[in-house]
Amino acid sequence: MSKAPLDKATFEAIEAYVLGRMSATERDAFEQRLVLEPDLRAELELGREHIRAVELGGLTRTLRTIAEQENASGSQGGSGWGRYIAYAASIALLVSVAIWWAARPPLNERLYAAHFTPDPGLPVAMSATDDHVFADAMVYYKEGRYGEAAQRWAPLLQQDPSNDTLLYYTAMVELVNGDAGSAMARLASVSDGSSTFKSRARWYLFLIHVKRNEIEQARALQLGTDTMYGERALRILSQLGE
Amino acid sequence: MCHFPVRDRSHCQSGSDVGLWRTFHPTGWRSLNFRRIIVFRTTKASTLPVGRALSDTTTGPAWVKGLLSNDPGMLRSLYAEHFPTVRAMVLQNSGSANDAQDIFQEAIAVLWLSVKEGRIIPEVDPGGYLYRVAKNKWLDTVRSAAHKHMKVVHDERTLERPSDVPDDIEERIVRLRGVYEKLDDKCRTVLDRFYFERKDLSTIAEELGVEEESIRTIKYRCMMKLRAFRNVIRGEEHEV
Repeated sequence: MSKAPLDKATFEAIEAYVLGRMSATERDAFEQRLVLEPDLRAELELGREHIRAVELGGLTRTLRTIAEQENASGSQGGSGWGRYIAYAASIALLVSVAIWWAARPPLNERLYAAHFTPDPGLPVAMSATDDHVFADAMVYYKEGRYGEAAQRWAPLLQQDPSNDTLLYYTAMVELVNGDAGSAMARLASVSDGSSTFKSRARWYLFLIHVKRNEIEQARALQLGTDTMYGERALRILSQLGE
Repeated sequence: MCHFPVRDRSHCQSGSDVGLWRTFHPTGWRSLNFRRIIVFRTTKASTLPVGRALSDTTTGPAWVKGLLSNDPGMLRSLYAEHFPTVRAMVLQNSGSANDAQDIFQEAIAVLWLSVKEGRIIPEVDPGGYLYRVAKNKWLDTVRSAAHKHMKVVHDERTLERPSDVPDDIEERIVRLRGVYEKLDDKCRTVLDRFYFERKDLSTIAEELGVEEESIRTIKYRCMMKLRAFRNVIRGEEHEV
């Protein structure tokens, strides 16, 4: 390649050739020169590289501009599919909330669910009781194995149908299993006497009435004066509009 | 330039916006510095075989034509369509949104130069190509010492460079940028508008409020400055 300066006319001829701005005649003539002039071929290669370098500079600048605009539009809530997805997600969320709101259980059932927890059970001291069947069943009960507990208490309850402890805990199992009707009868039996389970039985009866939306019956239990459950009972009645 | 993948190089022919000179690589892509130049006569576009190099702005897919003409609309379109995938890949592999932008812009530059130099076949999927290049570049970054603490989630790739990405293309981009950096702002302003934006001299003169002849002279002088750095771009040790 020549170290001599490249004259303006040759430079512009190379430029026009690289950019495809020559007529067919000019191109043919230029190509004839290329065949005969190695220095011109070298200058053509170099000119092509320089133009490519400038184009790459322009490309880099343009890409930066696009990226900045993308970032700006992204910070304003996204663009294109992203924005549509965001809209769709918002609509889906609103629809889900509306469905949940419409399909959610009534207030009384929600209050029952919020306040009902099964009685924690009685303490069982190892080797400290003569009634191993009851004690074993109580262990099952406290482990949450309610079916096995009830299965063991059932024959005991047949032998002693008025046993308040058996009645009460059998009712607990029935409540856990959703059999409020059977539980109510047993709890009513316990609450009528002088059992140590009386207060607790009344509380569960109160909750059963709440669940069934039997507000008058719940209020009739007059649980508001109960030292253990009075405050909660009054709050529930208040929430129910009583 | 007529650079074909090895499997297609037998199709190397002429006809382009960049002239009729074609460079044939007898040993494939690694022979850039040892290539020989062969002059081919023009052939009609209709006789070019399928799988030919891309360098004609009047044929080929729209994205190819857009890149050949430096169409900002096409660049924007490629960005909008393919950046989210690359962004997700980088974010899943311990990168940030800014990392994703940088990697994607580099991938676009590789795609652009590959198209400009006819080193990519028209049937290639631009999105897949960009993803492969971006993934490869990001994995290089992750493997680097500064990012050894990163956890790579998706690492099922082969470690080799994608077969359709010329292995010297990134080196060429670095060299081309090195040359561009030699230009001052005044040169960049004029040359960008003429060569990248493809505006004519009268338009540029009007935009800059000077005579057309002044723009012509500035352009010539600026390109001669680049000529002085010609050996930088060729990777030679000493400038001539």
